Amino acid sequence: MRKWIVIASGILLLSLSLAWWLNSRQPKPVELIPTLTNQPEYCVTCHVDLPEISSSHPIKTFGCVSCHGGERLALDANLAHSTMRGGANPSDLSVVEISCGGSNCHSGSEANDRNHIQRVMTSVQSTYAGAIANILFTFGAQKDLIAHYGINSVTDEQTKTGITSLFKFSPSNEANLFIQQFSGHCLTCHINAVPREGAAFARQTGCAACHSTGKHTLTTAIPYTQCNACHNRGNYDLRTMTFVERTDHPTDRLHNYYQPIAQFTRCEYTLDCVDCHTRSEAMGDGDIHSNQKDIQYVQCKTCHGTPTELPHTKPLTNSNDIAFRMAFLNPVVKIKIGDTILVTEKSEPLWNTRVLSDGTYEMIGKATRQDFIFRPVMGSKCTQNGQDQSSAYCHTCHSVNR
Amino acid sequence: MPDISRRDFLKLTRDGLLYLSGALAIGGLLRFLNFQTEAIPQTEFDLGPAENYLPGTETILSEIPAILIHSEKEFTAISLICTHLGCTVGQSSNGFACPCHGSQFDLEGKVLHGPANKNLQVLRIEQTADGHLHLFTN
Repeated sequence: MRKWIVIASGILLLSLSLAWWLNSRQPKPVELIPTLTNQPEYCVTCHVDLPEISSSHPIKTFGCVSCHGGERLALDANLAHSTMRGGANPSDLSVVEISCGGSNCHSGSEANDRNHIQRVMTSVQSTYAGAIANILFTFGAQKDLIAHYGINSVTDEQTKTGITSLFKFSPSNEANLFIQQFSGHCLTCHINAVPREGAAFARQTGCAACHSTGKHTLTTAIPYTQCNACHNRGNYDLRTMTFVERTDHPTDRLHNYYQPIAQFTRCEYTLDCVDCHTRSEAMGDGDIHSNQKDIQYVQCKTCHGTPTELPHTKPLTNSNDIAFRMAFLNPVVKIKIGDTILVTEKSEPLWNTRVLSDGTYEMIGKATRQDFIFRPVMGSKCTQNGQDQSSAYCHTCHSVNR
Repeated sequence: MPDISRRDFLKLTRDGLLYLSGALAIGGLLRFLNFQTEAIPQTEFDLGPAENYLPGTETILSEIPAILIHSEKEFTAISLICTHLGCTVGQSSNGFACPCHGSQFDLEGKVLHGPANKNLQVLRIEQTADGHLHLFTN
């Protein structure tokens, strides 16, 4: 009996020694108690050097787990990361509602203009409905160009476009060889895709596709290079239904912005895409659209007007105007009550513009903070027909020669 | 030094190890039972002597975070945690403003501008017999 007590005691001592040794190898936990959750988390024990992701999401307030998930008290990396949402990208649309949603965050009401997630889910950037509809129509699989399918099924019961839902596109149901090739090669170009393999592509879906411009960064000051991660990357080869990457690798803005075949004016490459294109164009307006052209509406005349009309403007009279919120999030310009700004044909504020007292307009680059002064077409020598406003007409006279 | 036989030495060592392992086991068990994975957030703060806060002054208590206001009549304290998502609000020209999402509050903590839709929390202040101010956040 005594012999067994000695053996048990030895095993106990060894076990305690092992436990002590393992414990001594663990990092000393660094605790963070975010004010939003009031629950301790130890993530910063290892992630001490990560920069603040944005001024709207300070770590002291949000912590890590609210957005990323994970085991907040674990000190073992594998265990801590085991329940993370979306890997390196919690804004991936498969998990975005849990990570970024909630009525106080990005899944609020349309009235408060906080329904970002709902709008993105039905946007063409997410549904890819236009490309799918065009391919199905071209190869005779559907009789019209109206979108019936999306990457995922979505519904919009309060539609203004007449499209109340999209079915999930199932490539396996398609017999046509070209449609199969399209499905195999061309369904990774949307923010709802399964990201391509590799760390470089991990943040090219969901909100991060546009708003994450670097490691652990979220911003509304989106440079054109972020848009170019997907756009202007190359062309579709319709014979082989493949995407052909552009082969030039320019490093200057003039040549890098657009593909070699593109025509554009000076402002189209000196400005960033987000300086002109609005958030409803990029993130959707909540309705399901059949193609990109139905949602992308900003043209040259939005800012410059036509020979017979000045652009739309709006005096800022209400501090609740969304223009102030947007200027707060990206404070490149200090707008105030009494300022007059340009607005789009759909009354979206171009909050980074201002009407100056001499009748000219000022725009501050959202990503570059550059100051641009420009004039209306009215009163100039331009003889363009006011109805001909597609970019091709303006490019006739104003395109840049490169 | 008294002579000790080999047998007695081994017996002594064995008993020592037995007692040591028993003590360590009890210690480990007690540590296990008392282990707190989560510290309990502090809800009461001793702000020191009331006379340190002169009438007519406002003091930012950044570790709470709150603002202690000593008016001519009384002490009041307002939490500086934004009621929208919990960022720390700062003082502005007309009261308080949240640097994260732009909510604004007047000098009494009432909402002037969203997205917050609740006023800043007014915190309880008590003065103890020894003249210290105690602030409660719960």
